[in-house]
Amino acid sequence: MRFDIAVVGSGLAALVATRSLQKAGRQPVLIWPGLSSLYFVYATIDVLGYRDATATEPVDNPRAAIGELIAAHPDHVYARAGLEALTAGTALALDWLREAGFSWRGGLDRNVVLPTATGTPKPSCLIPDSMAGGDLGRDDPVIFCGFEGYEDFVPELAASNLSRTWGHAPGSVRGLRIRPPRFAPGRLFTSIDLARSFEDVAFRREVADRVRTSIATNGDRVRIGVPAVLGLTHVADTHARFEEEVGHPVFEIPTLPPSVLALRLFDRLRKHLQETGIELIWAAPAHAAEVSDGRCHRIQLKSPGREQAVEARAYVLALEDTADGAMRAGVHTIQDPFFHRVLARSDVPTERTLESLFKPQPFAQVGYRITDRLQPADDDGRPLADNVFVAGGAIAGYDPSGTKSRGGMAIATGYRAAQEAMAA
Amino acid sequence: MPDFTTGVVVIGGGSTGAGALRDLAMRGIDAMLIEKGDLASGTTGRSHGLLHSGGRYCVNDLAAAIECVEEGRILRRIARTAIEDTGGYFLSVTEEDEAWEPRFVEGCAKAGITCERISLDEARRREPALSKQVRTAFWLPEDGHLDPFYLVMGNVESARRRGAQVRTYTEVTGFTREGDRVTGVITRDAVTGEQTSIGCQAVINATGAWSGFVAKLLDVEVKVVPVKGVMVVLSHRLAHAAINRCHKPGDGDIVVPGLSVAILGTTARRVPHPEVLPIEWDEVRLMLEEGAMMLDGVTAARAMRAYAGVRPLYDLGAEAEGREMSRNFAVIDHEERDGVAGFTSIVGGKVTTYRLMAERVTHVVARKLGVTTPCSTADVPLNDRDDELDQLRHRPAQMGAPKPHLGEDYLKPLVCECELVRPEDADPWLEDPAVRGLEDMRRRTRAGMGPCQAAVCSYRLAGRLVTARHQDGAMATRAMADFLETRWRGVRHVFWGSQLRQAQVTTGLHLELFNLDRQLMLENRPPPVGEDHGVGLAEAAQATRPR
Repeated sequence: MRFDIAVVGSGLAALVATRSLQKAGRQPVLIWPGLSSLYFVYATIDVLGYRDATATEPVDNPRAAIGELIAAHPDHVYARAGLEALTAGTALALDWLREAGFSWRGGLDRNVVLPTATGTPKPSCLIPDSMAGGDLGRDDPVIFCGFEGYEDFVPELAASNLSRTWGHAPGSVRGLRIRPPRFAPGRLFTSIDLARSFEDVAFRREVADRVRTSIATNGDRVRIGVPAVLGLTHVADTHARFEEEVGHPVFEIPTLPPSVLALRLFDRLRKHLQETGIELIWAAPAHAAEVSDGRCHRIQLKSPGREQAVEARAYVLALEDTADGAMRAGVHTIQDPFFHRVLARSDVPTERTLESLFKPQPFAQVGYRITDRLQPADDDGRPLADNVFVAGGAIAGYDPSGTKSRGGMAIATGYRAAQEAMAA
Repeated sequence: MPDFTTGVVVIGGGSTGAGALRDLAMRGIDAMLIEKGDLASGTTGRSHGLLHSGGRYCVNDLAAAIECVEEGRILRRIARTAIEDTGGYFLSVTEEDEAWEPRFVEGCAKAGITCERISLDEARRREPALSKQVRTAFWLPEDGHLDPFYLVMGNVESARRRGAQVRTYTEVTGFTREGDRVTGVITRDAVTGEQTSIGCQAVINATGAWSGFVAKLLDVEVKVVPVKGVMVVLSHRLAHAAINRCHKPGDGDIVVPGLSVAILGTTARRVPHPEVLPIEWDEVRLMLEEGAMMLDGVTAARAMRAYAGVRPLYDLGAEAEGREMSRNFAVIDHEERDGVAGFTSIVGGKVTTYRLMAERVTHVVARKLGVTTPCSTADVPLNDRDDELDQLRHRPAQMGAPKPHLGEDYLKPLVCECELVRPEDADPWLEDPAVRGLEDMRRRTRAGMGPCQAAVCSYRLAGRLVTARHQDGAMATRAMADFLETRWRGVRHVFWGSQLRQAQVTTGLHLELFNLDRQLMLENRPPPVGEDHGVGLAEAAQATRPR
């Protein structure tokens, strides 16, 4: 199969790269290797939450902080992608979200700090409107409201934690639970079941009634934090109506997997690409790139029972992460699937990690060396192929966990790689 | 004056201590077990879970083999739910192994171990995963899997029902004496530091590899050699039956399928201290390489974690070291040997013979107390009550098939999907003051033992600490972090393939979705690295006190 430009990947970097190419009038194909692990946990687009992995003060203005970061660390992924790519990519992403039917908000000049399901304040940059009410920059009291029988969001835990680190006045944070209608006690139900039920008007109204009755604070300035289950798809509508029915601001909080927020985001954006004429090749992990004369001529895709080759003028390798199955992590080496290069070698597997889980892990740093144009490079810094560009977690040094910058790094590199691919 | 008194204090919450506690209680003797960590957190809970038919010891250690035969048969009666009757194979894969065969067959005959040589065709029909290198196969139907956690909890619960008491996270720091007689123990809460003086008529030292340290508090010597063993946990069973190498016992020659996993074991390295158990890469690699000589798929299977345990080998004064040393045990009557009355040690042995060890030491102590009631632990099953308390009754081992909700018309919520742990399996333990951290929950429910290594259940269990135990968020979050860190320290040793991918989910959830690293920083307490139970226990101790 021959294409203009082939994008490989299942995460935000791949989606943004594909969309950038589409908007520039090109005809990309999106090769989707399969769901990445992050598909189940992604909720917001975090650009830069903290300056480094040990800072406790959230970044207030991500654009300014990234400018400083770039000046201080010319090898940082943001420096390689460039602030322009982040700015243009973010604008493109926000436009796209709007066009695809989402209501998101935010911008690069301000982080908003929102409570997580452990009641921890966390800085995010671009967020769905349905989460905006959680802004901890405002001092309205917070009520975390969970559902009996649903343990993937524990309001009591969130309330206890947030009340110690944030509460403005005694009693300004509390947790409560209501019994969801239709779900028999002792029966298994997930975020998906709840989200689907919320799309039913009668269910939603019944829940709103129960919430209103339980909080019993007519007129008080309280806001209600609920697990992110307000509709599987039509979030804006469900959220707005539910808020109206409850009579207080309501905000969603991401839950344990399956994350309804991530499902909404990825499923909708992928479908929107298809609706607007982008071809998708499904569940086809790449296993080889054919390179001669400094150019990649085709990549081989392999999935059970099917092998195919894709030819394109340029390729964007937008793997979500070093560990999303696209990279081959053996006992001693981590290899990439395209050029079969050993990207990391360790005598002992423990070298890939630190003793504490909560610190930046060496394995997260593994990826391609890149040129200034985001081409994968050999050890001397020469491109492995002139027409191949890397985005997302496959870039060496790409570790967004500690700084909470996964979405921003995906957007910046995805956008920039697409620009380079068009110029190739 | 003691703070309170009991009849006998048993020090050590492994299988032997738990067995002695039950034996004492069944003889009508008032008893209390003191354990410095959690129950089954030392040698027992870090064993590979092989219920020995005796085949492993029948050549070099006939006495130990004979005990295994007898005790294995008793355990099948009294600890049914802790045992999977897998049977086992002894496989020759080299010429040297074949040379060992006549001695092995003779040893089995001497020890009374059922052992049948089967054809390679038959062996491969039964166990398709046998490696091409296998030359000879012997079938020993009395090998099996013994769940060490269940065994200890079962003994302790049985003893508690008969009035015995248990204190975990309580260390014995000294003894009270009157002349040459021990009159009690001084304990310290491992967390709060609170000291308690417990008066008693006798003390049983069942601390295994730690026996020497306890005895030293009375200035008597017990020579126990701590020998480390490293094990690797695979996420599949790989074989129906336990797999042993037919040779002189060595490194990496056992694969034990049990519950949802297979465990590769083990190494034998002498260590300076029973708590210094570093896991070396060459040991992990050896487990995988040696395991692969017997079973295909060992190196391809998903390794979930590695862990290390310590054998408490009793030094009989011989020149032998490590595996050469007997796996037999001894009761040391310190009144007779050292002139210290009221203090008795039980040393050596292994989990398979824990009951016999408990019986022997209890016998000595009971006689001194003038109690003549005979031992009945070989006859009365651990679960001898009518109402449902069997926390693990839904397990595949018990049901015969992995259908946890048989007969129920819809799915019930699970706390841990990997190991099929339901809220009602976890909740009773939240009321048990012996349970302090989430690792303690794991030992009792298996939550967190599956492929995701607590990535998901840690949050739900932390939630239950708040909702059911009424701990505050700080303690619950700390417990959650400690649980994840402890699991992580085992995962790091097998960090490739699927387990590396799994880590992406774990960090995605806990660092990015929850921002847990910042929560820990906000609490201004860096994540602990060290012992299983970590910090946060002081508060846990407070919270579990009766209100």
